[in-house]
Amino acid sequence: MATRILPRLSRLAQHLFLAGLFVFIAAPMLVIVVFSFDANRFPTIPWGGFSLEWHRAILEDAMVRDAFLNSILVGLGTAVLSTLLGFAAAYVDYRWRFFGKRAFVLLVAIPPAVPVTILGMAMLAFLSRLGLFGRLEAVIACHTAVASSFSMALIRLRLNDFGRDLEPAAWNLGASHAAALFTVVVPFCRPALIASFFLSAAVSFDEFMIAWFVGGVHETIPVRILNLLQGQVNPKINAIGTVVLAVSIVLVVLAQWFVGVRVGKRADPT
Amino acid sequence: MTGSSPPGAADSPRGFLTGSRSTAGSPAVFAMLLGLPVLLWQIIFFAGPLVFLVVITFWQVKSFRLSPAFVADNWEKVLTSTAFLRALGHTLTVAGTTTVLATAIALPAAYTIAFRLSPRLRDFAVAFLVVPVFSSYILRIYAWQVVLSPQGVINGIAGLIGVEPLPLLGGAFSLQIGLLTLTLPIAVLILTFGFAGVDRTLIEAAENLGCRRGRVVAHVLLPAIRPAIALAATTSFLLAFGDYVSPLFMTGSKPPTLSIVVVDTVKSGSQWPRASVVGVSMLLILVAVLALGQVLSRRTRLRRGGR
Repeated sequence: MATRILPRLSRLAQHLFLAGLFVFIAAPMLVIVVFSFDANRFPTIPWGGFSLEWHRAILEDAMVRDAFLNSILVGLGTAVLSTLLGFAAAYVDYRWRFFGKRAFVLLVAIPPAVPVTILGMAMLAFLSRLGLFGRLEAVIACHTAVASSFSMALIRLRLNDFGRDLEPAAWNLGASHAAALFTVVVPFCRPALIASFFLSAAVSFDEFMIAWFVGGVHETIPVRILNLLQGQVNPKINAIGTVVLAVSIVLVVLAQWFVGVRVGKRADPT
Repeated sequence: MTGSSPPGAADSPRGFLTGSRSTAGSPAVFAMLLGLPVLLWQIIFFAGPLVFLVVITFWQVKSFRLSPAFVADNWEKVLTSTAFLRALGHTLTVAGTTTVLATAIALPAAYTIAFRLSPRLRDFAVAFLVVPVFSSYILRIYAWQVVLSPQGVINGIAGLIGVEPLPLLGGAFSLQIGLLTLTLPIAVLILTFGFAGVDRTLIEAAENLGCRRGRVVAHVLLPAIRPAIALAATTSFLLAFGDYVSPLFMTGSKPPTLSIVVVDTVKSGSQWPRASVVGVSMLLILVAVLALGQVLSRRTRLRRGGR
């Protein structure tokens, strides 16, 4: 008997542990959403009753509206540029061999590994010398330098499944490199390109250090949140947070949907 | 991950083209057209700033203005200041603790996801874990502040039962909660993919030879995913070491971590060279940690090759 009960208990413990971890990860997000509808000024237990007051308040806050607008502009710009650069980098890596290729790939791959505090400071120092500081374009440029790493990874992964002979076949039939690229490679990569678009938008939409350092007076929404948090308790934060959370989650889920994340691929054929 | 060239990379178009003139334009030019913008972009907006940061560490501040020079003064001042050394020690301790905690918590969780969940649930778990990696870190830290603060959710509940308010916020405990919020999702993901990549026949072989589950885990699974463990640990360390938000909001930056020191020094205005010294030192430490992670995971590869 005991030999059967023990493995069962162990499995139960494993599942409970995992459930606990998921609660730990999900709880903060739930807290924000729940308290954004709370009538109390300060979020705590007991709940002060349902209210849309704070959601309404953020619509009337010009700074919050501007920050949202800035974030959307920066997110869109980053998404487009990062996908273009990420595709170019992934394709160059896929197609050619050349001296310094490893360095080239690393140059695109490592920016997310550098702490954003240091990156933000360095970008501010460098860009203010170039006269690019304090503009949304600068934030877009810097976000692109970071997000293109994810774009390259997603597109490169897709290119792994791309038949090596398809392009040479197109060239043999008389297509130029450019024509083959746009009519054969790009359509094949479309899901990864779309995923890269959404994911880099999410990365930009979530990033605050670089935007804070480089953006100057142009606040994006996470920077606005950071500044609000450093002031007094502000019940609007939960309402802003709910909107921001909804946007980021939708972006990341869309990205995943187009990539089709599967864990089992290698494990299943057993 | 994208560093190694694919197995078929040898059949590059250059070799291919020698036989056919049909393709318009030289592939070298075409490659440059695609590669150069990427190269320039990353140099101007990534590598350039970092190199410039190193350069600034040797500059001087004269009457509140940054002026080019070549002095080791800043390095000397910062590296010998007790404030810096204290912050360095604190940051290393905090990041080390987070690394151990995150790896220890993520391992059993990833094991459960990889081996105990149905394929559908497994994909769902991974999709669920990817979301927080790319979203709303500041917001989640703020939420923990709401939960842990003296008048917060937990103390609200404690008050209803009649328990005195607990000082949850503002110490090592809340700081680790914050840093685990940052590191756990990605650590679990890395280890889940590590476990999922283990050759199942190895496990079956061990089981056929009479190994209990515990021994399979200790002697087959853990050695097999050593690279993933090294990657999860280094990633956790990297994130915790450089984080600014958790120390700021979970402990009120007391004691300050290196990131806090960097931001405060930059904000105070004229001490760019010293802030740069702190930043560059942080980068050097991270490079050393990443190299250590590489060594730890490579050793397994060598052993595997020797088998």
